[in-house]
Amino acid sequence: MNVGKFLLRRVLQGIFVIWGVVTIMFGLRAVSPGDPATLMLGEGATQELIEHVREQEGLNEPIYVQYFDYLQGLIVGDFGYSWRSNREVEAMVIERIPATVELAVVATIVAVVIAIPLGVISATRRNQPSDYGATMFSLLGISTPNFWLGLMLILLFGVWIGVLPTGRRAVGFGEAMVTLVQYGSATGLITWLQHIALPAITLGTYFTALITRLTRSGMIDELGKPYVTASRAKGLPNVLVRYKHVLRNTMIPIITVLGLQMGTLMGGAVITETVFNWPGLGLRLIDALDARDWPLMQGIVVFIAIAFVTINIFVDAIYSYLNPQVNE
Amino acid sequence: MTNTQQEILRVSDLSTRFFTQEGQVNAVADLDLRIERGEVFGIVGESGSGKSVTARSIMDLIEPPGEITDGSIEFHDSDLADAVRDDYPEAVDGEYVDLLEVPPEIRESLRGTSFSMIFQDPESSFNPTLTVGEQLAEAVEVQRRASSRPRSTRAKTEEYSFGSFALSTVLPSKKYVTEESRNRAIELLELVGIPDPVERADEYPHEYSGGMLQRAMIAQALAGEPDVLVADEPTTALDVTIQAQVLDLLADLQEETGMTIVLITHNLGVIARMCDRVGVMYAGEIVERGSLEDVFDEHVHPYTEGLLGSLPDLDGTTGRLQPIAGNVPSLLDSEMENRCYFADRCPKAMEDCLDHPPEYDAGGDDHEVRCVLAERRYDRTRALPDGYFGETERAAADKHADPDRTEEDVQPERAEGTVESSGGDRL
Repeated sequence: MNVGKFLLRRVLQGIFVIWGVVTIMFGLRAVSPGDPATLMLGEGATQELIEHVREQEGLNEPIYVQYFDYLQGLIVGDFGYSWRSNREVEAMVIERIPATVELAVVATIVAVVIAIPLGVISATRRNQPSDYGATMFSLLGISTPNFWLGLMLILLFGVWIGVLPTGRRAVGFGEAMVTLVQYGSATGLITWLQHIALPAITLGTYFTALITRLTRSGMIDELGKPYVTASRAKGLPNVLVRYKHVLRNTMIPIITVLGLQMGTLMGGAVITETVFNWPGLGLRLIDALDARDWPLMQGIVVFIAIAFVTINIFVDAIYSYLNPQVNE
Repeated sequence: MTNTQQEILRVSDLSTRFFTQEGQVNAVADLDLRIERGEVFGIVGESGSGKSVTARSIMDLIEPPGEITDGSIEFHDSDLADAVRDDYPEAVDGEYVDLLEVPPEIRESLRGTSFSMIFQDPESSFNPTLTVGEQLAEAVEVQRRASSRPRSTRAKTEEYSFGSFALSTVLPSKKYVTEESRNRAIELLELVGIPDPVERADEYPHEYSGGMLQRAMIAQALAGEPDVLVADEPTTALDVTIQAQVLDLLADLQEETGMTIVLITHNLGVIARMCDRVGVMYAGEIVERGSLEDVFDEHVHPYTEGLLGSLPDLDGTTGRLQPIAGNVPSLLDSEMENRCYFADRCPKAMEDCLDHPPEYDAGGDDHEVRCVLAERRYDRTRALPDGYFGETERAAADKHADPDRTEEDVQPERAEGTVESSGGDRL
């Protein structure tokens, strides 16, 4: 099957998924208690004012009319206004994307850079001290809760040793790069690194542990296959057997997990962002939930769905490149 | 084959053991083999008799928990002998080099160039995610790089390193496989009779049929122009008509190149068709060996008799087939007694069989047999009573027979034994 057809099919599937998410979110909003107009105006609003807002927002219309109005808005990119702050939802989502993406990408990079070599070492030196070390680390990493790890890191590096900030995002990566390029000053970049280090480690630890385990078990599995023996028999150098053949095949399932995890991280790591007061989508989602700010919640969730679907299409494309049998 | 032929491989007292949780498994014990240059030597036996382990020991493909614990594998190669004589004098005997005495790098440098191997299941013996052409080209490249430098420096030259690999992933010009090797791979595909080799080279293993893939594997094994080709059940996974084609191909290529083939199979039809000399394996040792005629027509060992008796005869004169009673014995060290390992299944077991028999000369040309019947006639008065070894031992022992074999392999292979060999016979 050719790439264009494949992509088209996946994009159509993706749109269907996003529509499903939108519909479920709308349904939840319709059945959840609380009157939107009261929420918007606060407890002390007069009945008249409430009626006026209801009329203005179309809240008196039948539910299906409201649904189609909402869908219509989404198609042209209008997510509505936040009930709480009365700002445009798109703007509120978009301004938080860089922080979340930065955190997700750095956490993933940390995870991949540590986990894959660790998994390879573990698999190729089975039942040796380095394998036990790596296995132990990954077990710890998987079983340590995020919020606890975040707090401990803050306590250790932020409070006791005092070398890293305890939270917040002082400067964006974009700005940091601009200062580096324009003024040749790396201070922005260093500040950025200092601030992102602990959240990224907190977020990436579970991920690192997971990928280490997957790499180890996948590689052990793959090393036992007959084609590995056959490659050795034809005299292929060990490095090539191990990396060109075995690691490459091990990566096929790992890429899928990576993609799924990246999608999850895109939605904002709610706990990590809360612990570190990291101004990403996760933190905004928590705020929106607290305030029962449905349009904002919907906007964030739809964005997460779009990010998830996009990443997965991308992963599928890589997957079909790595595993030719998918293209049947 | 005459005695003036030169021996290319001398395997003496080879023992390969597997150290499993249940205990030590003697997959191959005190095995002797003499293989002459240019011959086709067959090793035949039931599954679990140690055939594959023997092949892998020769190829240096034994992996933990397996280990070659004893013996020597001497390979005739005067260049190699000259190259290692100074550093490892104890490994060299004339023009022979004991492969178990030289460091692993030197053994590795022989794989693909002096020795190569074809495997039972072509589908799983190719990497599913690389094209067949690429995988063949790798084998060509191994040989090309090896022959570009003299024997003496081969093992000493730094091995292809992680750094070179990392570089090759970034720079296309640093790729391990060169364009020349790729072209040679296409030639090889053509040589083994794959139609449209240029297009086929870019296809993946799952796009090939089983027979074509086995041809491709033969091409891959020939890429290094090996002196010795080890073929481990090369036709077992193929259907009967394809088996014939693959065997013909092997025979033709052997005639052209003059390489030595060690052919491992449980199929006597294949042996009869291909081999000059045969070794019959049972419980990790060769119980009878000699020329094809000696083993087929003048055999002494009741096990050989049993193997041949379980072959159907197309004339239908033999009536019912005679299967060998019982199962292959346990190779677990703790369960092996110092007796003839076949005695518990042997219709002619005597009191003499309670001592482990040495190899006796059975007359003929290099015809040797590990059975007392070579020395004395079967004597009914000395026969062991029925049920002497008990029944339970056999059933319990079966699962330890072959460390490489999984439970599910057991049934089909046993069931197919007679049917398959009839197919082989007809070839």
